Amino acid sequence: MIQRKFGKVAALTVAAGLISGFVSAPVHAASNTIIVWADETRGPHLQQVIAAKGDWVPGYTIKIVPFSSFDALNAAFGNATALTGPDIVVGANDWVSTGAKNGKLAPVTLSSSVRANFTANNLFDLSYKGVLYGVPLDVNNVSMLYNSKLTGKPGTLTQMVKFYLANKSADKLTAGLCVAGGGMSWGAESVLNALGGAPYVMTASGTVDPTADPVPAATVAANIKRLFLGANGKSNGFFPATDTGCKTAFLAGTVPYAIIGNWEWQDYAKAGFDMNNLMPVPGLNHGKFGSAYASVSGAMLTTFAAQHGVDQGAKSLLNNFFGSSAGAVAYQNVELRPPANKKAQKNASVTAAQKGFGKAGAVAGLPQIGAILNGAAGSKSFWDLLPAFWTDVLVNGKDPQTSAAAMDAFFKTNIAAGIPQL
Amino acid sequence: MEKFFQRKVTVTLKYIIVALVSAILLMLIESSFAKREYAISAFLTVGLIAIAITYLTNFSIPMKFFLPGMLFLFAFVVGPILYTVAMSGFHFQTGNYISKPESITQIISGGIRPDAAQTTFDVVIGEDPGKKLEILASDPTNKKYFLSTATSKTDLDPAGLAIDGNGDATVAPGFTALTPSEQAAQDKALGSTRFAYSTDFFITIEGGNVASLKEQSLKYDSSTDTFTNVLTHAVYRDNGRGNFTNIKDKNDQLQPGWRAPIWFENYTKLLTDPQIRSALIPVFIWTIVFASLTVLTQFALGLLIAMTLNRKLHGRRIYRSILILPYAMPSIMSILIWGGMFDTEFGAINHLFGSHVHWFQSALYARLAVIIVNLWLGFPYFYLICSGALQAIPAELSEAAAIDGASSRQIFRKITLPLLLQVVSPLLVASFAFNFNNFNIIYLLTGGGPQNTLGGAVAGSTDILISYTYKIAFSAGNQNLGLASAISVVIFVIIASISLYGIRRSKVLDSFK
Repeated sequence: MIQRKFGKVAALTVAAGLISGFVSAPVHAASNTIIVWADETRGPHLQQVIAAKGDWVPGYTIKIVPFSSFDALNAAFGNATALTGPDIVVGANDWVSTGAKNGKLAPVTLSSSVRANFTANNLFDLSYKGVLYGVPLDVNNVSMLYNSKLTGKPGTLTQMVKFYLANKSADKLTAGLCVAGGGMSWGAESVLNALGGAPYVMTASGTVDPTADPVPAATVAANIKRLFLGANGKSNGFFPATDTGCKTAFLAGTVPYAIIGNWEWQDYAKAGFDMNNLMPVPGLNHGKFGSAYASVSGAMLTTFAAQHGVDQGAKSLLNNFFGSSAGAVAYQNVELRPPANKKAQKNASVTAAQKGFGKAGAVAGLPQIGAILNGAAGSKSFWDLLPAFWTDVLVNGKDPQTSAAAMDAFFKTNIAAGIPQL
Repeated sequence: MEKFFQRKVTVTLKYIIVALVSAILLMLIESSFAKREYAISAFLTVGLIAIAITYLTNFSIPMKFFLPGMLFLFAFVVGPILYTVAMSGFHFQTGNYISKPESITQIISGGIRPDAAQTTFDVVIGEDPGKKLEILASDPTNKKYFLSTATSKTDLDPAGLAIDGNGDATVAPGFTALTPSEQAAQDKALGSTRFAYSTDFFITIEGGNVASLKEQSLKYDSSTDTFTNVLTHAVYRDNGRGNFTNIKDKNDQLQPGWRAPIWFENYTKLLTDPQIRSALIPVFIWTIVFASLTVLTQFALGLLIAMTLNRKLHGRRIYRSILILPYAMPSIMSILIWGGMFDTEFGAINHLFGSHVHWFQSALYARLAVIIVNLWLGFPYFYLICSGALQAIPAELSEAAAIDGASSRQIFRKITLPLLLQVVSPLLVASFAFNFNNFNIIYLLTGGGPQNTLGGAVAGSTDILISYTYKIAFSAGNQNLGLASAISVVIFVIIASISLYGIRRSKVLDSFK
């Protein structure tokens, strides 16, 4: 009886196993499919572009997998294995050092014609220890937008503060300058820079100056005291220590100046803001500006591509689509971010906002160097330090010079540890 | 007759279900085995055998009911716990993520570098007359053309070639170009072939029509398990902690490294590393305070409302429905809304009270905000529990006490509360255990902050053990999964002890005796 039962079930099992084996294809069963992972905006836009023209790499099929958010993509790539991982991942430039250290990103060599499409800084952004891991895709930056219904184009940071203090009550302003995009570290870096500080100082030749003082404590503290603090030693309300609510308040017209991200400019354009009012954060003197990070997001080759048997196809996709001007134009016409590709930047279809962000990045841009910013062992990351600095001086009323000196010391440690990795 | 058919149908259904489950398991076994996930494959095989024995024999009738639950328990509870315990014994962090063989493979493949000029060639990929992979390479700037296989390079005279408008050779005698689909089929071979160029340099394909000049910089000697940099002659040896390190400079390491066993080092670090220890102690204390205060405040408010609504009241049903809303609403949404309301400049709370409190920049206020929001999220649960429990307490007891002259306060303290606590104590313990690990509220409301980073603080003021562990495991700079696993194991031991205490107190297990 038992033998009969076993026989029946075994026969059914084998039959069903064979059927299911044929029906359910493993993730990378089709050896000529190149899998590309991207976030919630780039992913669907890439799908759209690839659907319109899918023959960027003859002989291969391109499959774009969009994720629900940038963080979800980051987490998924962090956990990716050869079984589940993509062949190309579209991510931030500061993923490069971690991805390379963890053996998830593979080096790429671009043709000289493709390399010529990008600036040395853009390629540097996607390199670790001098090795390139991807192709620059779009420029990631923030820019300041002023509300021309409230105020005119400011010339200096001092003018902005004066305007705020003079009109605070009459215009019911909730703040002067706030950070709507990029957070209090990445987004607010240009404010630190306008005040005289930076996470690192670049030389004229585009390398990090190991000897320069990134945050001259006395200078930065004097500027903060003069511009950002009231008589009680705490914030005068011009620059809030947090970014929460900034976007809503700026859109509502209660904040005259806001730092916005280039990934969300359409929200402001739809609300009637003129994208010609984009500009870098003004510095202390006319014609000087606070440099904001002008890093790039990139399409990066993974080590999984070789394991999936599509290494050559993935490299071709990087050269033929992501690295080419035709690919960049097709993509940025949908994505609407400033393209990293030099020829695509000059394309007629590029919008005023894309040009505005591109110009802000060109006038006052700072390369984003993950190997330094992410912090060294025993130190702290820039991402934690700058928000803490704002809280200390603007909220807790701590002495700006002491706080600036403490931040400076951490930055110096990070620079010393990061430079050998570049 | 009808019974006979019914039995036949159920037996057939059973066969079909068992067959389908077995088929799916077989497929997963095959797939995981093919992907070299042997542990998963072994577990699935055991599961398959257990299903066959359980459902095709009368080996154990109770097992027919327990087996699915037990398999899931092992797969999703016991398995992850064992994996976490195992990983806590490894040097498992950024840079030490993969296995040693994978690391060696990647160092070897990464141990080649472009020549100083980063020379690239336009190439056509094809085959020689012997069907071996061959490239037709062009250097249009210098008008140089050559054919190259894995073993030989042949310079070509431009006169004998078909050259396109870009100056690239497209056709050469004896060379047959591959079609795109033929190239795709040979992807792996193309990626691994080193085409001959000179004694020191070779050519690798970098996509369909691009090739670059490379040189080998690192060589691996498997007999000594060392790497040698052929350019600097530096020797790199396994340092026993997951990296090949220069024998003359321990800071010079090859990457990527691998997960190496360090046994109990992550646990001893919790006690001996001053940086970790100094963060852990305040975090642990705040975790206890947070969980205790949360349970106390939620229980107190829930009980108060339950007692109020336990009396006859006009519109009681409406009040009850409204009070359930915070519980019914997704907590993620509630927490984010509360986060906006607590904002200093733009938040509703400061606007409403005309205050200028920096809720999330001050440790004290941030902790208060966390407790308030958690109270909002959790009191309906205790309200529901207490409502049920209060209705279960016989009214005669209170009435008798009242006749004997007891005041309302005395009745509550001496009768209602003790009886209530008897019922809800296990739930209070369970709630404490839940809040001990309440990651969502901390992560979404304060992100663990504020953190005195400039003062050297490693953890935030509202960080509880689980959010602190998350930061260690998944922070942007340096992820230390080994250390995070060790802390997770410690948290597990604490929670397991609390839960065990709760279970014993509730005497749930007594019914199994």
